[in-house]
Amino acid sequence: MTDPILEVRGLSTHFFTDDGEVKAVRGVSFGVEPGETLGIVGESGCGKSVTAMSILGLVQRPGKVVAGEIMFKGSDLLKLTKEELRNIRGRDIAMIFQDPLSSLNPVLRVGYQIDEAMYAHDKIPRDQVERRGIDLLKQVRVSDAERRINDFPHQFSGGMRQRAMIAMGLSNKPDLLIADEPTTALDVTVQAQILELLRDLNEQTGAAIILITHNLGVVAGLCKRVLVMYAGEIVEEGTAEQIFERPQHPYTWSLLRSVPRIDANRGHRLLSIEGLPPDLIDLPQGCKFNPRCPFRVERCFKESPPIEQVAPAQHAACWVTMERAYAEMGAGTITDTSPGAASGVHPDGRRALPAAEVPAAVAEAGQ
Amino acid sequence: MLTRGTLIYIAQRLALIVFTLIAVSFLVFITVHSLPGSAFESERVHGKALQLVLHQYGLDRPILVQYWSFLTSAIHGNLGVSFQIRGLPITPLVMRELSVSAELGGTALLITIGIGTTFGVLAAMRQNSWVDYTLTSIAVVGYSVPSFVLAGLGVLIFSYWLPNVTNGVISYPAIWTGTYGTLVELSLPAVILGFYTSGQVTRITRAAMLEVLQQDYIRTARAKGLKSRVVTVRHALRNALIPVISILGPLVISIITGSVIIENIFGIPGLGKEFVESILGADYNVTVAVFTVYALLIGIANLVVDLLYTVVDPRIRY
Repeated sequence: MTDPILEVRGLSTHFFTDDGEVKAVRGVSFGVEPGETLGIVGESGCGKSVTAMSILGLVQRPGKVVAGEIMFKGSDLLKLTKEELRNIRGRDIAMIFQDPLSSLNPVLRVGYQIDEAMYAHDKIPRDQVERRGIDLLKQVRVSDAERRINDFPHQFSGGMRQRAMIAMGLSNKPDLLIADEPTTALDVTVQAQILELLRDLNEQTGAAIILITHNLGVVAGLCKRVLVMYAGEIVEEGTAEQIFERPQHPYTWSLLRSVPRIDANRGHRLLSIEGLPPDLIDLPQGCKFNPRCPFRVERCFKESPPIEQVAPAQHAACWVTMERAYAEMGAGTITDTSPGAASGVHPDGRRALPAAEVPAAVAEAGQ
Repeated sequence: MLTRGTLIYIAQRLALIVFTLIAVSFLVFITVHSLPGSAFESERVHGKALQLVLHQYGLDRPILVQYWSFLTSAIHGNLGVSFQIRGLPITPLVMRELSVSAELGGTALLITIGIGTTFGVLAAMRQNSWVDYTLTSIAVVGYSVPSFVLAGLGVLIFSYWLPNVTNGVISYPAIWTGTYGTLVELSLPAVILGFYTSGQVTRITRAAMLEVLQQDYIRTARAKGLKSRVVTVRHALRNALIPVISILGPLVISIITGSVIIENIFGIPGLGKEFVESILGADYNVTVAVFTVYALLIGIANLVVDLLYTVVDPRIRY
């Protein structure tokens, strides 16, 4: 194993709002090795973007990193001065964002916005910047790059804008590229092209990639290792194969079950995880997934499970784990995945409606 | 830069301005000629003598005929003669007064844009701090206090209480001397004239900056590792200027109407002063000329504003 280029330890980022302290990210730890492709998945609001923003110091008021360290090339990014951090942003660690239209400045030419990233750091010799801007645009497969570089963002299509964003991110040959939902705003065929591009660039340039997405298919297509986040914490970590074939955390398991499949029987209900993610201001005691977990046991309500090794290179934060759920609770055959359904644990009389009692109209709407 | 489309657009707008000028001058011509009283009526001139004078100036003809002869000579650059100062050609008079007013108004406009955007950006960058509160308060005072109150205070302070300090800076020569005044002489009336509009610009710039700073492309710019000054000026301010430009047209009108008051209070011999004097003296030709020049200024200002849009925002093309 090589030394990680980025190591996040115990990162916590909270937002101090008028309604209370939103504990968006709590005690997140992970490492990224050189050239690695790491996926961070989870549903909206689970803290994946905030984690990425914390790495680059881009969290805006009222948000604040309250604990942890982010080691990059031997220094803690959280302890750097503004100017030192600015020198790392866009130079050693680049970031691309979700919506490529709103992420590009509408009044500046695309070429200018790409070149500007290079001028800001002087890593690329000044006389080569313009040439490299065109080359980058070619590298991300924008046709007619010489002419297109003088266009404004509104003259680009959605896919081209994201390509331009990627070109901008790669311009200073960063060691790490953080891609925050890079394909979400694009249609499916363009999504596939962008992912292929990222994969090729990862191989060609050797830049490590952190891909943040809620889309499991996107992760499967690009990442070798995957982190699953839920309610501001990492609940499972493993190789892509482990996460997709042998998930150990009930949340990962539920998430995979809820992916719509084209080969599924028609007329089958689209499965979803019952309930909503917890309120990050007022978190439940114990495991944060307990209000929605079909396999919960009494202990889940009292103690928060630590993240522990469950298989070589695979870690999960669960008192039960799917291995036990399959062996003891019949996880392979259950159809009712309402909270506590498989384990029969309903403390304080908290019981969700069994599937049979769901009103007919609601059930039909879900068809 | 100037595409074929833009040139056609400019030509269309210029044609529209000419049409507006004819309409404005016609309406004003009819209106002032319907007002009671005349520039020539006095105890000494009446009866037969008055008839003679009216005939001499062509005022005894039907009004539409009079307008037609005004229009045809105006096209040749001759706006007729004054009645008050009998026989004085109006075109050179108005041109001289226009240059005086333009100096004053231009300075006020520079103050408006300079101070307004600077205050707006500073207030937005330091939102909810004492800087923000101070600048926002100044802006609120700016657009709430009427200019004649400020002008009166200005005269009181600088020419009555502090005449030794200012050394008579605000005594304004009534005679045209090539350029109207030095920057120091212009500063007081220009600052007071631009104060109201600066307040408006501060308010709009601040709001626009606050909105722009929340945009995704600002986050992108910061993620690129740009210096915060570059992010503020190049990425944020350029976008925040778009709403500021859209109120520039109305602001120019504010400055023109404001100059009527300011010039009268400070005794500055510009268009605004002439505007009031010509109406009081029933000097029809001068009134029509001044109105028409104002209409021309506003038409051109609006055209310039619309062209400025295309410079700042590439998404707008004509």
